[in-house]
Amino acid sequence: MGLGLALIAAAAMLLAGANPLLGFWALFRGALGGVPQISETLVQTTSLLFPSLAVAFAFRAGLFNIGAEGQLVIGGLVAGVIGARLETSGLIAIPLLLIAGSAGGAAWGAIAGVLRARFGGSEVIATLMLNIVAALLANYLVVGPLHSPGVAGPETAELPHSSWLPALLPGTRLTVALLIALALAFVLRWVFDRTVFGYELRAVGDAPEAARRAGINLAKTAFVTMALSGAMAGLGGATIVTGVLHRFNVSLSPGYGFIAIAVALVGDLDPLRIIIASFAFGILQSGALSMQALAHVPKDVVSFVEGLAIVALAARRFVAGRKQMTALAPE
Amino acid sequence: MSAIQDFVVLTLVKAAPLIYAALAGVVCERAGILNIALEGQLTIGAFAAVAVSFATGNPVIGLLAGVVAGALVGLLLGFAATRFGVDQIVAGTGINLLALGGAAFGLTVVFGQPGASAEVSALGVPGERGLIVGAFVAALLLHLALYRTPWGLRTRASGENPRAVRSAGIDPRNVRLIATMLGGALAGLGGVYLSLGELDLYSDGMTAGRGFIALAAVIFGRWTPFGATGAALGFGALAALQFVLQRSGVPSELMQALPYLAALAALTGIAGRARAPQADGVPYSE
Amino acid sequence: MYPGGVHAVAGVDLDVFPGEIHALCGENGAGKTTLASIAAGKLKATGGTVVAHGNVGLVHQHFELVDRLRVWENVVLGREPHRGAELDRAAARAEVEKLSREYGLAVDPDAVIEGLPVGIAQRVELLRELARDPAVLILDEPTAVLAPAEIDALFATVRALAVRGTAVLIITHKLQEVVAHTSRITVMRAGKVVARLETAQTNVDDIARAMVGGELPELAARLETTPKPALAVRGVSAGESSLAVRNASFEVHGGEIVGVAGVEGNGQSALADAIAGVIPYRGSIELDGVALPAGDPARRIAQGIRTIPQDRRREALVLSWSIVDNVALGDQRRPSLRKGVTVDRGAARELAKRIVERFDVRTPSVDTSVSALSGGNQQKVVVGRALAHEPKFLLVYQPTRGIDVGAAALVQSRLIEARNAGVAVFLISFELDEVLALSDRVIVMYRGAVVGTFERGAIDRARIGSLMAGAA
Repeated sequence: MGLGLALIAAAAMLLAGANPLLGFWALFRGALGGVPQISETLVQTTSLLFPSLAVAFAFRAGLFNIGAEGQLVIGGLVAGVIGARLETSGLIAIPLLLIAGSAGGAAWGAIAGVLRARFGGSEVIATLMLNIVAALLANYLVVGPLHSPGVAGPETAELPHSSWLPALLPGTRLTVALLIALALAFVLRWVFDRTVFGYELRAVGDAPEAARRAGINLAKTAFVTMALSGAMAGLGGATIVTGVLHRFNVSLSPGYGFIAIAVALVGDLDPLRIIIASFAFGILQSGALSMQALAHVPKDVVSFVEGLAIVALAARRFVAGRKQMTALAPE
Repeated sequence: MSAIQDFVVLTLVKAAPLIYAALAGVVCERAGILNIALEGQLTIGAFAAVAVSFATGNPVIGLLAGVVAGALVGLLLGFAATRFGVDQIVAGTGINLLALGGAAFGLTVVFGQPGASAEVSALGVPGERGLIVGAFVAALLLHLALYRTPWGLRTRASGENPRAVRSAGIDPRNVRLIATMLGGALAGLGGVYLSLGELDLYSDGMTAGRGFIALAAVIFGRWTPFGATGAALGFGALAALQFVLQRSGVPSELMQALPYLAALAALTGIAGRARAPQADGVPYSE
Repeated sequence: MYPGGVHAVAGVDLDVFPGEIHALCGENGAGKTTLASIAAGKLKATGGTVVAHGNVGLVHQHFELVDRLRVWENVVLGREPHRGAELDRAAARAEVEKLSREYGLAVDPDAVIEGLPVGIAQRVELLRELARDPAVLILDEPTAVLAPAEIDALFATVRALAVRGTAVLIITHKLQEVVAHTSRITVMRAGKVVARLETAQTNVDDIARAMVGGELPELAARLETTPKPALAVRGVSAGESSLAVRNASFEVHGGEIVGVAGVEGNGQSALADAIAGVIPYRGSIELDGVALPAGDPARRIAQGIRTIPQDRRREALVLSWSIVDNVALGDQRRPSLRKGVTVDRGAARELAKRIVERFDVRTPSVDTSVSALSGGNQQKVVVGRALAHEPKFLLVYQPTRGIDVGAAALVQSRLIEARNAGVAVFLISFELDEVLALSDRVIVMYRGAVVGTFERGAIDRARIGSLMAGAA
C-alpha cells in the first residue's frame, strides 16, 4: 500500500511539472539530511504524537474523537494566554502551563463527553462542531478581550524565556516535549495492558453490551475517555506553545489533529507503534516544505497523500470490534 | 420593506449550498452511509468547477465538472465503505483531508499560485438564481424519489436493515454506492454554487465548514429531504443575521459559531429524539 | 470455508423431493444453516453443485425484515410493482392480500413490522418467500419463537404446501416436532451427513443419538431441597409496550430452580433486564430482604447476583478476547483478581484453567480467542464464569440456545449442581421441555404478567401450554 501511495504522489508531482525523483529526494533530504533537519522532523513527530495518542485512546473505547484539532487549539490557547502573563521560575511555570493546557483540552473533550454520556449525542458530530467553535473562540479571545498590548496578529505575546521548554538539542526547536510524549506513549501502553481502568475501557470499546452487563458504567467511561483524550491533545497544544512557537497563534497546528487519525490507524491503535507512525508522518510534514522549496512540488501534495492514506487503510480490524454488527458465522 | 427583502435574499444565498449539502447527507444516511466527507465534496465540486471553467471558458461545463467531481468523490467514499470495509467515519475524514490538500495542490498546478484562483467565467446572477431554485427543486425530487419509487424503497431499506435487502435479492452495497454517488453529485453542485454561483473564483477554505453545518441540518431535519431543507434555511438565516449584526458590536465569531452551537444543542435532544436510520453508519459485509 | 480454515460443510449429499417434509437435524456447528444458505443461493459452495427445479425460498431463524417499513413494503422489496418510475402501492397491497388468502396467513399489509408480534412477523417473511412461488422452501428453526397454537398453525401451512407439491426442508432441533410432522430425516454432524432416517422407522432417542454420536448423558439425580428466601420480586413492571413485564411478583429461594414458561416476547427479557439491573423498573427487587437499587449491575454482581444472558456473543463475551480475559469480565474489580490498579493476570489464568477443566471446554489453550470456540464451548465459559464466585442468585436466560446436545446436557447438570449447593436459580427458557425438566417450580408468563404457578409435583403440561397461549 505504501508503494501505491508513493506512486500516486509521484504522479501528482509530475502533474505539477516537477520531477518526482527530485521531489522524493528533496523530501527525505529535507527531513533527514542533517542534524538540524532530523531535529525538526522530531519536532513534527512530537507534535503529532500527542494528538495521535489521544485519538487512539478514544478509539480503543469505541469513541471517535475527531476533535483532537480543537482540543489541541484550546490547550495551546490556555497555555499561551496564561504563559504570556506569567513571570515566574520555570520550575513552576512550565509544569503549570502544561497542566493548564491539558486541563483546557480536557474540558473541551469533556463537552463532547457529556453530550455523549448524558444525552447519547454522537461524539463524531460534537467533536467536529467543537473544532470549528474552538478556532472561532481562540480567534475572538486573542484578538479581543485577551489581547496582549503591542501584538499585531491573532496571537499572544511571547512567553518569557523562563517559561520556555528546555531544549533537547541546543540551537534547535527540539525540546523535552519529545520525552514527555514518549513517556505518555509508554504509560498508555501500560494502562491498556495492565490496569483495571484499561481493561474496562477496552471492554467498552470491544463489546459495549457485555461491558454494560458486567457492571461497567458506559456513560462514565465515555465521559472520562473523552476528557482524557482531550487532555492529551491539549497537552500537545501546550507543548507547541511553550516549546516550538513560544507563544500562542491561532494557526499553531497545520491539521495535526486530523493527521493524527491517520497516524493512530497506521499504528494500529497501539501506543508503541504509534510512535513509529508519528515519526513516519513527521518525515512527511517536515520534508514537505523542503520539497516545495527545492523541487517546486507544492507542499499540499503531502496532505493529499495523507488523506488518501486514511481512506486506503483497510480499517476492518477496528470496525470488527467497534460495532456490534459483524458478519457472524451461523451456528 | 427593502431590508426584509434583502434579508430574505441573503438567507437564500447563504442557505443554497447548505441545502445541497444537506440533501446529500440525507440520501447517504438514508442508505446507511454516514457521510462525514460533505466538506470535502463541496471543496472538490467548487474547485473542479473553477478549474474546468478556466480551461474551457465555459461556466456551464464547469458546473457539470463540479457535479461529476463530487459524484466521483462520492463513489470513492462508497467504494471504500462498502467494498473495502473501511470505516465510514475514518474514510470521510480522509476524504476531507484529501480534498483540501488536492484542491490546494490543484491551485498551484492549474493557476500557478496558491491561495486563490484567478477569476473565471462564472454563472452570473441568472445562474446563481437558477441554482437557488434548483436547490428547492432538488429537495422535492429527492422526497418523491425516496418515498414514491422502488429505488427509494430499496435505499431506505438499505439504511435500516441491509440483511433484509440482501434476502430480497438486492445487493445493499450497490444501493449504498449509488446513494453516495448521488449525494456526491448534490454536494458537488453545492460547491459549484459557492465558486461559480455566488462568486467567480475558488479560494482556499472557502467552504468554511459548511459541510459540517449540513450534517447538523440533517439531524435537525430528521433525515428527511424537506426537514433538512428547512433546517438549512434556518442556518442560512443565522448566517444572514450575522451579516446584519456585523456592526452592532456582537462579535462576528459568535455569530459564525451559532450554527455549530445549535448543532451541539441538537445533540442534547432538544430538537426531539428523532431516530436515524437503523443501519446508519453501520458497515455491511458478506 | 470460514475464516480459520474450518470446513463448515464437507461432501454433503441431500435430496429433497416435491411434496415431502424433510427434517435436517444436527448439533450447532454441524453446518445446517450453512447448507441451507448454500441451497438457497445466498452462499457459494467451494465445491459440489446445487440443483433445484425452481426457486428456493428461505425463512431465516432471525428474521430479515426491515422493522421500520410496512408489511407490503417488505414483501415486495426487490420485485416492486411500479407504474413507470412510481411505486404501485395498490398493486403491492393487493398482492399481499392475495397471497395471504391463498396460503391462509392473515396479515395487515399496512402494519409496520416493528409493532408486530413475532408470530405475525414470521408470517410476513414466509409470505415474502412464498411470493416467489418457490419449488423448495427451507425453514430455519421456525418454531423457536412460536407459541404452541402458532406452531400448530405453521405446520398446517407446511402440510398444505407439501400437498401442493412444494418440497419443504425444516431445520430444527425439536425432535418431537420432527417425529410428528416429517417423512424423512437427515442428520448432520461436524459438516458431514451422518444419518438418513425414515421418520416412520425411528424415534426421538435414535435421532438424538445420531446427532450426538453416543449415549446422552443422564441429568444428575435430584436431591432434597432446603429453601431459604433469596430473591424476591415484588410488583415489578419494566420495559415498553408489548414486550413489557407487568406487576410481576414471585420469590426464588436458595436451593431451588424456578423456571419461567412462556413464548418469547411475553416480557421475559424485560424481567431479566430488570433483575440484572440494566433497565429501570417500578416495584422492588430484594436480595435477602434488602431492596436493590435500580440500574446498578456492578452492585448486583458484587452482592452475588450473576446472570447468564440470552445472547452470549453480544451480552456476555468479548469475542475478540481470550478466555483468560473473558473470565475476569464482571469481576475485574474484585480483590481476588486485581493487584491495586492492575489486573492480576496470574489469578485470571488460574481461574480460566479451572473453568476450562471443570466445564470441559474444548479449546487448545486458555489464551485462545473465544470467537474460535463453538457455541457450546462459549456457553460453558459463560456458565463457568457465572458460577465461579459462589453466587447467591443465578439468572439463566436460554442457557442451551444454539448449542450442541452434549454441551447442553453439561450446562443443565451444572445448573442442578448449583441448585443443590444452595444457589437460587431463576431459569428463563423458550424450550418448554427444558423448563419442565429442570424446575422445582414453574411460573407461566403471558403478555408480561405471571399467569400461573405450578409446583413440581403438580405440573400440568396441557394447562401450562394453554396459559402460555393466553387462555384464561
